Amino acid sequence: MTKSFLIDFTHRQSAHCESGVAANLLNHYGLDLSEAMAFGVGSGLFFAYLPFIRINHLPLVTYRSAAGHLLKRISRLPGFRMTKRTFSSTKRAMEELDRILEQSTPVGLQTGVFWLPYFPKALRFHFNAHNLVVYGKQGDDYLISDPVFPEVVTCPAEDLARARFASGALAPKGKMYYFEQVDRNFDNRKAAVDGIDSVCRSMLNGRFPLIGIRGIRFLERRLRRWPDKLGDDRAALHLGHVVRMQEEIGTGGGGFRFMYAAFLQECGAFLGEDHLLSCAASLNTAGDQWREFAVMAARICKRRSKKGETYETAADCIRQCAALEEQVYSSLQEWVRGMA
Amino acid sequence: MTQERPDPAASVTDGLKIVGYAKSGNGRIEKVECESWQPVNEVNLQAWQEIERQVARARDKVASGRASCLYYYMIANQMSLLLLARYTRQAAWRVFLHLHPFFFRRLSTEQLERYATVFKVSVKTLAEGELHTTLPSSTNPHD
Repeated sequence: MTKSFLIDFTHRQSAHCESGVAANLLNHYGLDLSEAMAFGVGSGLFFAYLPFIRINHLPLVTYRSAAGHLLKRISRLPGFRMTKRTFSSTKRAMEELDRILEQSTPVGLQTGVFWLPYFPKALRFHFNAHNLVVYGKQGDDYLISDPVFPEVVTCPAEDLARARFASGALAPKGKMYYFEQVDRNFDNRKAAVDGIDSVCRSMLNGRFPLIGIRGIRFLERRLRRWPDKLGDDRAALHLGHVVRMQEEIGTGGGGFRFMYAAFLQECGAFLGEDHLLSCAASLNTAGDQWREFAVMAARICKRRSKKGETYETAADCIRQCAALEEQVYSSLQEWVRGMA
Repeated sequence: MTQERPDPAASVTDGLKIVGYAKSGNGRIEKVECESWQPVNEVNLQAWQEIERQVARARDKVASGRASCLYYYMIANQMSLLLLARYTRQAAWRVFLHLHPFFFRRLSTEQLERYATVFKVSVKTLAEGELHTTLPSSTNPHD
């Protein structure tokens, strides 16, 4: 007979899985951190257009940092310790999960969404960087706090094992992690400033043409060429893919820009810095611009575009996003330098 | 999942409430409960229509004897040859051969079983070449 465990864990719904898992796990240890704050401290905002990596035969576009980056940054803050493990054997991975749960420690897992039975059908693609927290087990079912869902869910052990060992790009290899030490009085001022600094650096990088602001401009130039190069059908699929990466569940809207604006606003309030508040407002405008692009792109994909809406105008829209964001990060970087 | 396409009018989340960030009345950006956004539903549907087209093509290919039923299940599970090879833990060239009816007919039960586990169908289904339209996970609460 299988054992049952249940940890008293507070589930809070969030917009993005990784920041939600981080915030919920820290909250469990008595550190009241909002999702937006976890996202900012972990410097989750990013942009990259990497056409040589394919997802469902379409180029990878990401609006956030690589999977695991956010948790890694938080676990490296002074006073925090996180244990992270991957496995080669499914059996050992599940045994280890049970062992840690038995010690009343909630465990974070990286999984693929395709094999998770509780996921809505329409969202079940082979995407392997989803994060969730397991907080108990009842018979053969695991009790799961999946941050993007409104309530806690359950998942049969067999399906969870499959999801943990999903193959393909970003394969989780049974990755699990849990906090061993959390500093409730950590220096949130320094952590926030460092987080902002890191985002500004990667977004304003001058070296790599495919990431940051340069990446956005690269996507803009490519996008103009899609209809000629790929033909109408493929071009529409590519465009739809960009919108999905930007807006589908887990982004908080506007390709994470709104969530980051919420973080800047929260920082501005507790640091007493009006400058951050105005940056938050500008980033919010950039998010609105991204949404405008998404609306236009969705209409183009459906071939119901209004007069004058073409790939050219969609690209112009992205160019404006790049300009708006560049302003925000430059001004943030100046502020960070002033703090030092 | 591929054949039971979500209703075009329905949201991608199947009516689940999700949260997003938006400016509220007092100008603050806050976490708010929301429905999935219409443009998202549209591009999601577009992605599924593309998968459906591929599945239909795969069905034709199997029906005309140009591919084995493994090919259909591979496409219906949104997999590529490489991904299927990784899931079944064998070399891609082997999987490539198994996608052809000539080699597929000569597969042993053990070899069929590898595929059956991944696709969540029975060995008998594969051996008889039936093309099921069920979800890979039978425990879906929305079924």
